[in-house]
Amino acid sequence: MLRRAQIGHLARESVAGFSRRKLTTGVTVLIMGSALLVLALFVLVALNLGIVLERAQASVDLRVFLVDGLDDQRVAALQPPFLALPGVREARFISKDQALAELRRDLGDDGDILGVLDDNPLPASYHLELAPAYRSTASVEAIATDLRRWPEVADVVYSQAWVGALETWTRLFRWGSLVICVIVLVAAVFVISNTVRLTMAGSRRIIEIQILVGATDGFIRLPFVIEGVLHGLLAGILAMGALAIGFRLLSLRLEGIEFYSAAQIAGFVLFCAVLGLLGSLAAIGQYLRVRRVG
Amino acid sequence: MKAEPAIPRGPLDPRTIIAFYHVDLRYRDQTALADVSFSISNGEFVCITGPSGAGKSSVLRLITMDLFPTHGQVVVRGMVSTTMKRSRIPLLRREIGFVFQDFRLLDDRSIYANVAFAQLVVGVPQPAIKKNVMRVLTQVGLWDKRDRLPQQLSGGEQQRVAIARAMVNSPKILLADEPTGNLDPVTAQEIIDLVFRINDGGTCVVFSTHDHEIVKTFGQRVMVIKDGRLVSDEERRVPDRDRGPRLTDHMYRPGGSDA
Repeated sequence: MLRRAQIGHLARESVAGFSRRKLTTGVTVLIMGSALLVLALFVLVALNLGIVLERAQASVDLRVFLVDGLDDQRVAALQPPFLALPGVREARFISKDQALAELRRDLGDDGDILGVLDDNPLPASYHLELAPAYRSTASVEAIATDLRRWPEVADVVYSQAWVGALETWTRLFRWGSLVICVIVLVAAVFVISNTVRLTMAGSRRIIEIQILVGATDGFIRLPFVIEGVLHGLLAGILAMGALAIGFRLLSLRLEGIEFYSAAQIAGFVLFCAVLGLLGSLAAIGQYLRVRRVG
Repeated sequence: MKAEPAIPRGPLDPRTIIAFYHVDLRYRDQTALADVSFSISNGEFVCITGPSGAGKSSVLRLITMDLFPTHGQVVVRGMVSTTMKRSRIPLLRREIGFVFQDFRLLDDRSIYANVAFAQLVVGVPQPAIKKNVMRVLTQVGLWDKRDRLPQQLSGGEQQRVAIARAMVNSPKILLADEPTGNLDPVTAQEIIDLVFRINDGGTCVVFSTHDHEIVKTFGQRVMVIKDGRLVSDEERRVPDRDRGPRLTDHMYRPGGSDA
């Protein structure tokens, strides 16, 4: 356990060391901050794509057009099997008349054009609303393929075929981001670990004397661990700050995009501190393994 | 494989502070020490001599447990090299002061801070640190220069600071690895006198040097190491507590050539 006098000494040494090496600290924080900015940016874009995809998927529904000539009883009897389909939350019947009324409403002033029709050409249909988990293109397609085999069903139409494309792009982007993030993370840890190694090399004499006079390994390591964590914290704050400014400028032009929540920001900065910790531990482990007194 | 020699049966002599039992030390293929055995008592003054590279520094590093024997055992203050936990090494080092030929001071800190550093890292409270630093810096005659930086002092003064730092934690053992190597004979003699005074205070001193002139000034036990072997370990009997001739004796002799 550290005594009070040791804690005070360590705190003074860490702060003094940090301010003594302003340039190294600045450059490290800048390099690591830039790397983490790339990471934060990719994660943010991935998150926003996810939101856009979710919104798009929310509007996905199935319209099941029925063959003409079904009597009311058969039409009504279709509702329970529709509801029994996996993922179908609601099945709303739209009669031929309702469909025509809807069309007329949609056409607005041009609705008069429908007056030329002798007969109502629109088929009766069921509107199937899907539970969120079943809104992916694959799932919707599976349900549609199944429904098309039903004798009562004339056709199945589902909106936004582009949702499928969006899903593909989002998936690709997420994988790409993951690869980039892993590279960036390794780079960030490497930068920190190199800086701490340099600091340790610069503090060779102090470390040597500490070993000589009987300082414990923990006591020797702690200032460098603190330094690594502080570097990580500062780089995380820098990255998040730069991203927030960039986002603010962009959000004036692009509506509907979202920034990280307060909890996510705190989590990110904390994560950066952990990266700093990992970097410094890697450096310390390597350095102290080869240390010698004489 | 050579069997590990065991510590002799029965209790160690309570006066023994350092003991080597058939110690071998190898760096890869090179033998640094071979079958070295000796023991040093509390408060003893021992000079280890031999040519450069003979293994003197290795002996000192084995005492601080910075190195461990390839075979054999080292026992320091009752801690046995083959069984002690690594986490206890710092505790052992707090009982050992170490000075080197190159002083190893922190150049960006004052003399006071250099000495206080040794106490800070082991958690001595501030009021006690001030008292202890004052005591040792007064002892080495540098209290008045406590605010100076090492570079503002002479070589001899820097070595005295190093000795003050080594002594501030009141160690039971002082290891001096060629402490006069960088100093002129007058200053070297001052350092030797200072080390004698420390020894007079009851601290066991192990003084390593390759300099024959210095060895001649010692009236105590001298161990000679050559090619990693302890070739001689003899007690010198000098009735005079001044330990014999002084480094400066021939300096002022008319016609003296090697001063």
